[in-house]
Amino acid sequence: MLINRRKFLEQSAMATGALALSSVLPTSGVAAAAAVKRITILHTNDVHSRLDPFPMDGGRNQGLGGVAARAALIEEIRAEGGEVLLLDAGDIFQGTPYFNLYKGEPEMKAMEKMGYDAATMGNHDFDAGLENFATQLMHVSFPILICNYDFSGTAMESKFQPYKIFQKGDLKIGVLGVGIELRGLVPENLYGKTVYLNPIESANRTADLLRKQGCDMVICLSHLGDKYDDDKVSDEILAKESYDIDLIIGGHTHRFFEQPRKYPNRRGADTVVNQVGWAGIQLGRLDYSFSGSKKKNLANAHTVVIGKKTRE
Amino acid sequence: MNRSFFLFCTLIVCISSCTSTQPVTTVQYKDYRIERSVRSDTAIVSLLAPYGAALNESMNKVIGFSNNQLSAKQPESGLGNFMADCMRIMAEKKFGRKVDAGFMNQGGIRSYIPKGNITVGRIFELMPFDNLLVLQEVKGAVLQQFLDKMASDGGWPVSAGLTMGIQDKKAVNVQINGKPLDIAAVYVIANSDYVANGGSDCEMLRRIPQQNKGYLMRDALIDFVSDLTRQGKPLDYHIENRVVHVN
Repeated sequence: MLINRRKFLEQSAMATGALALSSVLPTSGVAAAAAVKRITILHTNDVHSRLDPFPMDGGRNQGLGGVAARAALIEEIRAEGGEVLLLDAGDIFQGTPYFNLYKGEPEMKAMEKMGYDAATMGNHDFDAGLENFATQLMHVSFPILICNYDFSGTAMESKFQPYKIFQKGDLKIGVLGVGIELRGLVPENLYGKTVYLNPIESANRTADLLRKQGCDMVICLSHLGDKYDDDKVSDEILAKESYDIDLIIGGHTHRFFEQPRKYPNRRGADTVVNQVGWAGIQLGRLDYSFSGSKKKNLANAHTVVIGKKTRE
Repeated sequence: MNRSFFLFCTLIVCISSCTSTQPVTTVQYKDYRIERSVRSDTAIVSLLAPYGAALNESMNKVIGFSNNQLSAKQPESGLGNFMADCMRIMAEKKFGRKVDAGFMNQGGIRSYIPKGNITVGRIFELMPFDNLLVLQEVKGAVLQQFLDKMASDGGWPVSAGLTMGIQDKKAVNVQINGKPLDIAAVYVIANSDYVANGGSDCEMLRRIPQQNKGYLMRDALIDFVSDLTRQGKPLDYHIENRVVHVN
């Protein structure tokens, strides 16, 4: 079988880079074929009402975080000119007196100003009651995505959606959300009639729908937690059990990943998981480059090569 | 790079290119640390200003002093000991009866106490939840299950007077106020309503009746620190082998 020379060069350069753990990935130069499509995913999780940076009191995180600095950074990244999706994986609320006093209003207003595209719900977003969360959504225009909570008969009934499709340049990107089991974690009087549904089944069904609608990439916002000692459902399990999810933006376990994790999924392709700790101490950035023949839809299984971004 | 390694890589790629029909995706990742040196967005600063002003007025009030920095650690920490002691002592005051032990769920400790002044805001960060301090009368057997749950989690804060070991994710050598835990005895324990209602997977407590005076745990912490300050005492908490790992 003859191999297209350009493709061969591109792939060998890519694989050599990855195998040799080189920090430079050939997303430009040789690899700049017309078929390459790019998107920058920016993400946060478990910000927990950390609107101001941690106080300068000798604590481990002193001076870190804060929405004003994050907003400025996001603006700088947007100014690079590429397509950007800004996402949050839940637990927006609870953790500083801002939440006790204002019930989430400044958190929501700040996210709206930063231009978040979507978020999912974490267990602490129920903390001032489901009605309160629904009320605070009046301050934002981005959707709350969650496909495994049945909110029928609750204040959230008409205020969420299971997924949203974003057209970013040439790329069609489907984003869905999954939430954690509420029983034993969230007080019953706070979640009320909300019914928790199997997150793997719900996520797979929704991702399938997104693929069938022609999405080039499917992202799952998850508040399940990255992994556990026991068989409790996690991002790791979801990744391995998934068919069509390319990327899981996780939360709940407050884990600072050294680098994104990669798991072989049910199609034998790669599903990537990332999480950036908590409190807005970090902003995660994932620059995706999709290469494939022009004829082929990108809606196929992807082999993913992960590398550290070194160029600005 | 080693030349043969390069050839090997090329070979691998050749083989995979010949057999695989999957497109390749590359992901370049970068984690930005949000630091003070990063520029601030002025629109966000002015958005927050009015909220922050009102907040600081109530939150910056100093109510006490800590001799050292206290942070949440397992199986035991000075911070946990302070919080569990507060639960027991303030429950005795509020309910006017003897309480055998006070507890704090590890996951419910949301911040730390820096060395030096303790402000109201600091207590809000430590205990942001509107959880209530409640009492329950439990059989020793149920208490053992509850302590086992703590052990399987790596150790939760317990009040002074209770000591236990953690072995194979179970609570062993449990002593309460100088005596071994008696599975037939009845103990009065102080918890948050969150835990008493079965939160943090404490199903064993869920059906047990609670005494509740609508007293917020956060208020208990503020009152406890303020009481110490009135007595001229700082917060002085350390590890004292209440919860230890046993091999």
